[in-house]
Amino acid sequence: MRSPSFTTLVAKEGRELMASRAFWLLLLMIGPLVGQSFITAVGHYAEASGINGGPAALPAALTPLDGILVQTLGVYDLAATLLLPFVAIRLIAAEKENGGIKLLLQLPGSLSAKVSAKALVLFTGWLVSLLPAVLAMTLWKSYGGHLYAPETVNLLLGHFVRAALSAAVAVAAAAIAESAASAAIVTLGFTVGAWVLDFVATGRGGWLQQLAMYTPTVALRNFEQGLLRVSTLVVIAAFSIAGFALAVIWLHTGRTFINRCLASLTTIAVVAIVSLGGASLRTSWDTSENRRNSFSRADEAALRQVHAPLHITVFLAPEDPRLTDLEQNVLKRLRRVLPRVDVDYAANSRSGLFESSADHYGEIWYEMGGQRAMDRSTIEQVVLEQVYKLAGIKTPEPDGDNAFSGYPLAARPRWAGLIFYGLWPLVTLFIWWWMRR
Amino acid sequence: MRAVLRARPHSRRIFLQLPKVNHLLTVEGVTKRFKSRAVLEDASFSVRAGEVLGVIGPNGAGKTTLLECVAGLMPANSGVVRFRDQPLPSRRRTEALFYLPDGIVPWAEQRVKWVLQFFEKLYRRSDLNAAALMAPLRLDELMQARISSLSKGERKRVLLALGLLTSQPLLLLDEPFDGLDLRQTRDVMTLLKQHTEGGRALMLSIHQLIDAGRVCDRLVLLSAGRVVGEGNLAELRALANLPEGGVEEIFLALT
Repeated sequence: MRSPSFTTLVAKEGRELMASRAFWLLLLMIGPLVGQSFITAVGHYAEASGINGGPAALPAALTPLDGILVQTLGVYDLAATLLLPFVAIRLIAAEKENGGIKLLLQLPGSLSAKVSAKALVLFTGWLVSLLPAVLAMTLWKSYGGHLYAPETVNLLLGHFVRAALSAAVAVAAAAIAESAASAAIVTLGFTVGAWVLDFVATGRGGWLQQLAMYTPTVALRNFEQGLLRVSTLVVIAAFSIAGFALAVIWLHTGRTFINRCLASLTTIAVVAIVSLGGASLRTSWDTSENRRNSFSRADEAALRQVHAPLHITVFLAPEDPRLTDLEQNVLKRLRRVLPRVDVDYAANSRSGLFESSADHYGEIWYEMGGQRAMDRSTIEQVVLEQVYKLAGIKTPEPDGDNAFSGYPLAARPRWAGLIFYGLWPLVTLFIWWWMRR
Repeated sequence: MRAVLRARPHSRRIFLQLPKVNHLLTVEGVTKRFKSRAVLEDASFSVRAGEVLGVIGPNGAGKTTLLECVAGLMPANSGVVRFRDQPLPSRRRTEALFYLPDGIVPWAEQRVKWVLQFFEKLYRRSDLNAAALMAPLRLDELMQARISSLSKGERKRVLLALGLLTSQPLLLLDEPFDGLDLRQTRDVMTLLKQHTEGGRALMLSIHQLIDAGRVCDRLVLLSAGRVVGEGNLAELRALANLPEGGVEEIFLALT
């Protein structure tokens, strides 16, 4: 039998997406939500830049990535968690509930091609929903704002990857569960589970923290910091493909339950192996304009001479802000440069409030090549000096290449209210009506 | 070639020597259980090229389950399906047959016109298109309607059109006359008979015995998941030891 054109299947799924009220609701809501975030972000940015005649904040702290982009696009994290799964579930569950799946399964073409067509349409729909973000960025540029292309593209990629994972979980749940309602519960259960894992694993180290690095929220946080890690991309891509693969397995009603369970276990095993391999990849790029994920070039050149593993024991509790400083400003950067950094989180409690000096609380021990050193500071240069001392390397001269001047801008969000609260909903409703008539 | 006629469960089997026939699809010993409840028990029969085969039986006899197992949409516990004497595994059933379920509302928000065009594009039959089915299935007035807005009978006519637009040598239709009025039923019967003239076979699941007698060349009688008879009216009468009588009398005698 002749294989059908894949485009025919994609066109069919496209029409189904256009007929989905969940998708139109997503579009209708995303505009005002993005608008609200954007207007608030521009306002705060302007205040920090001294719009009311007050002193500008430290200019170097004014980065559009933190001040505008992350704030504005933060809405998409919410949408990927609470809205997109319903669009994805509808694409599968509607056909299961109305019996259309029995026809779909028999249409020419493999089931993989049919699910791929659904995935393609879903991701295209998600890209369409990113239009308000593009509008916001265009407005920002029109105000004279600055955007740094690598970090902007990286952040958009992060939201796409995060959405892919959400969609994959929802599609798999819709394929496995009996009804759309059950699929929604499973999907939200996954989200809540990921939040719990994120909370529990923070500052704990070990495999739990490793696993938590690939929860949607933590994975997205890397992109929001301008960090593009190959390991994150590989693991999230593997999880996402697994979700769609599970959908293919469970939609095939002609296979026995045992057969489907075995195929699912095989898929999970393959994904686990790929993820373990992917997680070990250390390649990453710092796409941020202010190189916030990197040491100075002189320090990085010096650290590349270190080949011995560095073992760090931290006596700081997960909720201690010093640990956050150490993670963000030092450990994250060290992991990118040194061949191996092992960290033991040795605090006994979550807050550290009731730990005493007898418990070594506050100490940070460094060990390399059989030598040990202790310090309590979480400041970058102090930690690096300890590392250089243990490695027997001379501390490099500061090169001043990290001097980021920042982009203060005291602008008002002109037209944004009209566009996001007025035009966007009207245009969305008009197109929906026009397609429905 | 032997045509196998089966009598009541656990009773006699009659083997008649018949001229060689062209078996398109052969189903052998299909059994389906839902946990401990057997819905199909060792069901065997065959479909010949160009014929209309009716699977008849009361509600709960296992007709739909049988069709879904044959179509490969439901896994059977045991049994073999052969297409032109070659084993046809479940994953390859769509090469040989297309199954049109009853009571489905596929792609509910789409218009009839688009759904028909979708099937035309997928199957691209040179001998049949949606336009040719407009008059016999009275689809003209439905073309702009959404599937979800159709009545049961209208939806059935659209679904029949979809089934007829497919290109597999065997078409399985579950309750093709359900929801149709008398005139529509007669028109559809005529259309289905014409459809087999090119050699395509139809296998219909029907619970209205009178309808089955009118349209089917041969019948498979299903009762409590077992095939209790297979053949044309004359053969079934012989099996039931009835000198005369229609499908209803035969069915009552054999079940």
